[in-house]
Amino acid sequence: MSGEYVLTRDIIYDHNERMLNIRKYYPYFKLSEMSFRQYKEGQFDNIDMGYILMAVLRFFIEKNNFNEEPVTYEEYEKFMSDILTRDFAVNEDEKTCKELIKFIFDKINNDGRPFVYEYFNPVEKKKQSLRLKLIDAKIVDETIYYTITSDAVEFYLDTKEVRDESNITIEQVLLGKLISSKNFKGGTRVARRINSEVGRLLSRKNEVLSILSHDVFEGVKVYEEFNDTVVKWFDDEQKLFSQNKELIEQALKKAESESQYYSAMNDIYMLESELNRAITRHGRLLSECTDLQIKADELIAKAKFTSLRMSFDFQDYFKRLKELDRADMLENIIVPMLNLKVPKQFDIINIDEMLLYRPEGEEKGEKIKDEQLKEYVYEDELEDKRIEHNYRIFMGILFDMMLKNDNFTLSDAEEELRKNIGNSFERNGDWYSFMVHLCQKKQYEINLLSEHPDTFLEEIIKNYCKEVQKYQGLKFRIESTEDIIKKPDIASISDIKFVVGDGETDG
Amino acid sequence: MDNRNLEKALEIFSCLVKGEEISANKKETSSLYEEYTDNSQVYDIVKTMCKKMNLSLYEYKDTLYLSPGKSNRVFGYSNEELKKEIGIRLNRELYLCYFVMFGVITRFYSDTSSETFTEYVRSEDVIAAVDGMLASTLKEINLMSLDEVEENSFQAISGLWEELPLVVNEDAISVKASKGSKAGYVKMVFNFMEKQELLLQNDGRYYPTNRLRALIENYFDDYKGELYSLVKGAV
Repeated sequence: MSGEYVLTRDIIYDHNERMLNIRKYYPYFKLSEMSFRQYKEGQFDNIDMGYILMAVLRFFIEKNNFNEEPVTYEEYEKFMSDILTRDFAVNEDEKTCKELIKFIFDKINNDGRPFVYEYFNPVEKKKQSLRLKLIDAKIVDETIYYTITSDAVEFYLDTKEVRDESNITIEQVLLGKLISSKNFKGGTRVARRINSEVGRLLSRKNEVLSILSHDVFEGVKVYEEFNDTVVKWFDDEQKLFSQNKELIEQALKKAESESQYYSAMNDIYMLESELNRAITRHGRLLSECTDLQIKADELIAKAKFTSLRMSFDFQDYFKRLKELDRADMLENIIVPMLNLKVPKQFDIINIDEMLLYRPEGEEKGEKIKDEQLKEYVYEDELEDKRIEHNYRIFMGILFDMMLKNDNFTLSDAEEELRKNIGNSFERNGDWYSFMVHLCQKKQYEINLLSEHPDTFLEEIIKNYCKEVQKYQGLKFRIESTEDIIKKPDIASISDIKFVVGDGETDG
Repeated sequence: MDNRNLEKALEIFSCLVKGEEISANKKETSSLYEEYTDNSQVYDIVKTMCKKMNLSLYEYKDTLYLSPGKSNRVFGYSNEELKKEIGIRLNRELYLCYFVMFGVITRFYSDTSSETFTEYVRSEDVIAAVDGMLASTLKEINLMSLDEVEENSFQAISGLWEELPLVVNEDAISVKASKGSKAGYVKMVFNFMEKQELLLQNDGRYYPTNRLRALIENYFDDYKGELYSLVKGAV
């Protein structure tokens, strides 16, 4: 339901407004349909009325709005004569030309009558007509002056953005016309358009700067264009702003006395606030453009400087690397572009603190305590002590067995050890190292080795036997056997035989 | 020397070294940027510090950027560190990554003063660029059997590249960074370049950052002589 309602409302109630907008195009299409075939037997059939109309309107804008002067017929005649000669190669005698120019003028003025555009008004359910004129005539001091109407200016502006001129200027010209014709609502719309145009120019300024910083040649073109359409018009625009502001102030004064203006009081206020906003933004645009000028000069100067030095050609450099066949040298291009690798061990702020650090004027002495020197025992010394201690235990048991027996095997010795100190020796590395050291020599004579100990073990034996006198004079030799002593989970070792004195072995 | 200026210069330098951006467009750093541009003493101190530390400082679009240059033992990456950062193990893999990165850069710039006006690159553009560049390179060098080539030669990296399938599975949209495919390799390089603030990704499109532009448009012109002498020295 609501969809249908919107549809109907759009069709019926918006139609009037659409027609009001369309009407400004009506004279153009009506005139462009016009043919010169009937005029002077088709002698000037090549003349295009659409083109002529646009040229005439532009001429009127130039004279009326930019130069603020009305147009006399003579001026129009001269302008038109130039157009006809230049664009349509009309080279007839003066009289024929004048007649043709007058004929065209009458057509543009619709023979002095307004153009009437008829349409159906669906709200009132009847045909309505809209009137509009392109050119107005005024008589001042017995001379007829012609001026362009606001509708014609609006139509002209709608057809294309005027690149060579400032849009703000043209819109303001239109605004002035609308205020003069007491169309304040239309004026507010135009003031809004001025506002949005200022906004567009502000963002355009940033675009220009961006293009300049990327490509100075393209940038200079865009910058010059921006200057032509924006910067050089600032004076005119500001003049027009103050003129329009004055017009609004006059309208406000009149509103206090004249009832015709009083009813439009709200519209005038709205127009005034919109125009004030436009003036403020326009001021900002001016300062931004000054900034742009400074930056553009800097960028152009920089570009001039850089153009003097040759740029670095990536492809050429790559070609050299190809000749060398060194892909790794691409590193020279890539690595400089990477971020800094910052090791996290040291806070850079500390440099600041270090530089700002002020040492105290007087250094304080360090107090030294009177402490006694302690003897320090290193780990390897501890280990040596342990080894000697264990070796003495093994030697005591072994030498005692030697005093009692003429010969015995390693298995017998281990059995004796088990009886005296338990099984723990089997898992003690010192026992095996003791045996390894002992087996380095085949024969031992305690008295002899006490005088000249050859090995690390003999040194220990010497010290031990000095303390335990009963072993003095002990002699023994070591013989290998073919038996194996198996120790589950530990090792398998060859059995040996200890033979005491100079005695013979059993077998 | 004014103590305040020294403090400001140190503050700027410390921010830059920590990888923070100093820009006139950022509220937090605009005052530091102004100090750098408007206070000649601060400018001189910062420049001297950078020079002494073998760093290059550039201004681009009202922002300051630092480059460690090449062979910077303190602030630059070693080959091993780079491999770790990218996620690769072998030297020739690193050289292939360099090649892919070079392919990305030359999509945006043909030389330091000429932009190609390419707005962004996609993975497929880079794969095609690398394919093309390697093919033309191989035409120009004397080819040897792959067993004989040095790991730093173009033929070695071409061999590595050609062995790779385009994608591992058919679902090319969800390509993950990996050494298993061309797309994976390019993704790996893209990730690295993004981490290094050289590219910015949006929906598979990689745009050059201002940092990339700043360094390309300034660094190589400054060090052109040195870079070419390295090439000459390698002959």
